[in-house]
Amino acid sequence: MAEVAIHAGRNPVARAAQAFFRDYLVLVMITLLVAITAIVEPKFLNPRNLVNIMRQFGPLMMVSLGMTFVIIGGFIDLSVAGIINLVAVVTISLIGPLGQVPALLAGMLIGSACGALNAAAILTSGALTQAEALFLTFGMSTVFSALALLYSGGMTMHFWDIKSSKAMFETIGAGTVGPVSVSFVIFLVVLLLLWVFQTKTTEGRAISLTGGNKTAARLSGVRILRSIFVIYVVCGLMTAVGAIVLFSRITTAAPVIGAGYETNAILSVVVGGTTLKGGKGSVLRTVMGVLLVILMSNCLDLLGVSTYLQVVTKGAILVLAIWLDNRKQV
Amino acid sequence: MTANSIGARVSGNGFGGRLYSIVMRQKAFVAIIVMLVVMLFAPTHFYTAYNLLDMLNSTSILLILSFGVTLTIVAGGCDLSIGGILVVSGILSIKLQDFLPMGAAIALAVLFGVVVGFVNGFLSVHQKTEPFIITLGMGLLLTGIAQQLTDAHPVPAKNPAFMMIGNGDFHGVPNLVIIMVVCFVLALWLMRYTQFGRNLYAIGGDYEVARYSGIPVIRTKWMAFVISGGCAALAGVLLSAKLNTGSSIYGDLTALVVNCGVVVGGTSFAGGIGGIPQSALGLLVFGMLDNVMNMLAIPSYYQVLLKGAVIVAIIWLDCFAQKRKREFV
Amino acid sequence: MAAGGSEVILSIRDVSKSFPGVKALDRVSIDVRRGTVHGIVGENGAGKSTLMKILSGVYQKDSGTIEFDGEHVEHTTPHQSMQSGLAIIYQELNLVNTMSVGENVFLGRFKEMKGMRGTHARARELLDSIGCKVPTTRLVSELSVSEKQMVEICKALSFQSKLIIMDEPSSSLTGEEMAELVKIIRQLKEKGISIIYISHKLDEIFQFCDIVSVMRDGRVVDTKPVAEFTRNELISKMVGRTIENEYPPRPHNVGQVVMEVRSIQTHKLHDISFKLHEGEILGLVGLVGAGRTEIVRAIYGADKARGHEVLLGGKPAAIRSPRHAKDFGIGLIPEDRKLQGLILPFSVESNISMGSIRKFSRLGFIRRSLEKGIGARQVQALAIKTPSTRVAVNNLSGGNQQKVIVGRWLEISPRIFIMDEPTRGIDVGAKYEIYLLMKRIVEAGGSIILISSELPEVLHMANRVLTIFEGRITGEFQPETTPVDEIMKAALGLEGGAA
Repeated sequence: MAEVAIHAGRNPVARAAQAFFRDYLVLVMITLLVAITAIVEPKFLNPRNLVNIMRQFGPLMMVSLGMTFVIIGGFIDLSVAGIINLVAVVTISLIGPLGQVPALLAGMLIGSACGALNAAAILTSGALTQAEALFLTFGMSTVFSALALLYSGGMTMHFWDIKSSKAMFETIGAGTVGPVSVSFVIFLVVLLLLWVFQTKTTEGRAISLTGGNKTAARLSGVRILRSIFVIYVVCGLMTAVGAIVLFSRITTAAPVIGAGYETNAILSVVVGGTTLKGGKGSVLRTVMGVLLVILMSNCLDLLGVSTYLQVVTKGAILVLAIWLDNRKQV
Repeated sequence: MTANSIGARVSGNGFGGRLYSIVMRQKAFVAIIVMLVVMLFAPTHFYTAYNLLDMLNSTSILLILSFGVTLTIVAGGCDLSIGGILVVSGILSIKLQDFLPMGAAIALAVLFGVVVGFVNGFLSVHQKTEPFIITLGMGLLLTGIAQQLTDAHPVPAKNPAFMMIGNGDFHGVPNLVIIMVVCFVLALWLMRYTQFGRNLYAIGGDYEVARYSGIPVIRTKWMAFVISGGCAALAGVLLSAKLNTGSSIYGDLTALVVNCGVVVGGTSFAGGIGGIPQSALGLLVFGMLDNVMNMLAIPSYYQVLLKGAVIVAIIWLDCFAQKRKREFV
Repeated sequence: MAAGGSEVILSIRDVSKSFPGVKALDRVSIDVRRGTVHGIVGENGAGKSTLMKILSGVYQKDSGTIEFDGEHVEHTTPHQSMQSGLAIIYQELNLVNTMSVGENVFLGRFKEMKGMRGTHARARELLDSIGCKVPTTRLVSELSVSEKQMVEICKALSFQSKLIIMDEPSSSLTGEEMAELVKIIRQLKEKGISIIYISHKLDEIFQFCDIVSVMRDGRVVDTKPVAEFTRNELISKMVGRTIENEYPPRPHNVGQVVMEVRSIQTHKLHDISFKLHEGEILGLVGLVGAGRTEIVRAIYGADKARGHEVLLGGKPAAIRSPRHAKDFGIGLIPEDRKLQGLILPFSVESNISMGSIRKFSRLGFIRRSLEKGIGARQVQALAIKTPSTRVAVNNLSGGNQQKVIVGRWLEISPRIFIMDEPTRGIDVGAKYEIYLLMKRIVEAGGSIILISSELPEVLHMANRVLTIFEGRITGEFQPETTPVDEIMKAALGLEGGAA
């Protein structure tokens, strides 16, 4: 009933400062961390280290980019770890019998199918809120992981187990094109495609509108059900790509290879500035977010912080980021 | 709208409709009956006193977890951090015994859970962050802490008295079962016979109405999280006592299983309905499922798959049932 | 306590309340005497519910004084007012559906009642005292509306209420249930409890109210003992208007039938059928909850209503979703523009363009240049006051926000506009602009179905009016030639009103 015109602030400077910190606190924190590391540990600026950082872009980047779409659409996907597990073990096992390209395509198909299953579960149950999607996809994650375990018999498969050629995958994992790695090139191509999709296509716009206000979008003729389907399939597909880059890099695929990716992906998206409330966000911001998360890991490594403490830090930052995101005046 | 009227709307008042509403209302009961019947025909040791008691014993810890979580779910929230609290407090209870008497170590471990619950409550209730996701984040954070504390190696307990808590028995009834029953009674009393418990139902049933009626909604719901944290910590201590080690591996799936078990039993994520006995029944479904699958010698990976499928089905059904109550604008 | 005494239990003096852009109450003064049933009548938007919410503590008044039972009161929460003896029973009942009757009566007072047993025992006593036979252990969700009301009355009684306000209690009651309620009201009166009875049903007012206050436009127009009013006088006072230049001249452009609706049937609506003409503004008039929004949502495909037919230009149109409706040239401006109509954090431009994505895209790709043109065009055409099209629509005033939604639709020029409460919460100046817009639309050959709870608005703008009461069409009128009272009667479900 009450109509509100433009917000009147108390002290405009104070308000601006408050908003800045709320929106960018995590960015500031990580920037500080990087700065401190660069000073304390000169190895950080070593070109080798920087190359190392770039190498880590691949898997997490792909998954996070996919997750970005789901979050912009107003939902969330906690099944990415399971999808990675499944895609990795199945794809690697098919390289021998089916050949490289068919195996690759099969992997991407499986990822997309998993995404489609997620969407189906959500759409058929009528659960159109983020909270319900969270639970459903969490459950699906256990199903996908279980399938991965079943399929692989719990065994890890290595590249050296494969008799036939796996050159393509080895290139993806470790190859270079001039000064940059192949995976970086793949990343650029994928980023371009996704960016165009998000900002320039009608479906990308539809997804954004759906995330902004499902009801208003629907009443304006937007096909929200289709958008929901698309975001999960895209996420599944991107996760599959991430899985492929991952096992190509480490040349093995264990059925638990995907562990922790959902946390890191959500963290990257939120740190990058895309809000969990949906509607607003961008793949470019996620790139920034992934970079920050990777930098954070790198710095903590160099500073001698144990892996587990890093997990703790990440968890704490996730909680912090979600809390701040919630307080944002969108 | 009750499950009955939902059933009537979905498939009319005929047999199909009534069956639907019975299944929806008593999901846990039906599941248990199905399993009991199946086991009648299987040539296993299922129906022995030893096995049944053992089943109860294994499920005790999950049951204790469920009592705390039930409070948060009835109030309209949920707590996915219980897995993390479980492992960290379990580890703490063992490590602290290196320089504290057992009683103090246990008390501090439980206190830890209470503190985490307090933080959960702050974020979920006071700050109004979505509890699903924020407690999930907490859980992950805590799992990390657990790994840090143990360096990924299980920490063995050295105190035989501690072991006895988890493994001993009193005239044939395992200690864990006794503790679980005590918790059950306490939790039941809290939910049914105290103002606090009834207020939780009101808050979950309709937050605004509860607020208008003068119920201190924030404080009460916050407390639910605190208790949930404490319960999870207690369960963690007992688990460590039982396994005689503190380990960091039990976290994630536990949270999901317990929250789902509570929902199976009839406590919906929507809040306001269900309770301690229902949650217990729901958890028994999972406990029994584990036992049944072992008895039937189902290979372990298929067990995981089946469990995952059951979890998805339960959540899906709960969402579906809520769909009828919602008006999709 | 003597009944019908001349002692004043509630004294409201010069209470005013404004919301941004709207003056909801303007120096309202009412005295309620102890042991009387004091009726309050008025149209939607007259200020009744605002006044009640101030009394019960949901809103705070801007100025004026309220004295209850001899004491100055400033209730800040509903609970406080309950405790001081002033209870209100809302139309949307204030009960927890998942809990039992007994617990609802004593919500939050479990300890006081010494647990479950005490709660149920005392609840049983209270229910018996008003002759209600519902078991206290039954869940509220299983009760009929009438039974729920009795639970609310018991709740009020449990606080030793001296004044009970009933807001539209009879809107969902059967005749029998209503008789029960009347009995209870009389019983309460005998106990010395005063009652404020808000209702549209004039029969009831005349049946058991002692005194009636008529509210209109946030003011109390008259307060007299019921016996001194005639029915017609009451109605006139409810709808009488004095201001003239609030509306543009009525458009007269009515042409052929452009849409026909046949037999909408849902659990709330019964056999709704009507026609709409080119260049016509068709008003749907009725009480809140009569079913007007449900009708338009069914037509628009927003709700799952099946079995009805919509004919456009004589040909059947299968409208199963808002997208279909849009394709067929129907646009909807929803009731709640913030929740249903706008994406608040998005820009003005996005909010305008979101309905016409196809127009500014080629082969699935968006052309930003075209989109920008749309935003600029509509902002200019509708004189939307905004610093720029990039600003978040949340920052605009209500009137301008509404224009954004209208602009969204104007981009695709629908033949039929459905406007559900288009001027709600908008200041007078902006309202006029919207009326002009409506005029422009129909003068260009479009049609409008207008839902509004402000009767004068509909009466001044619409060429034809359908009255809806409890899910049925009770009458069809030409506001230009029909006296207001007749239309009002049909909307209230009283006799009169030809189809």
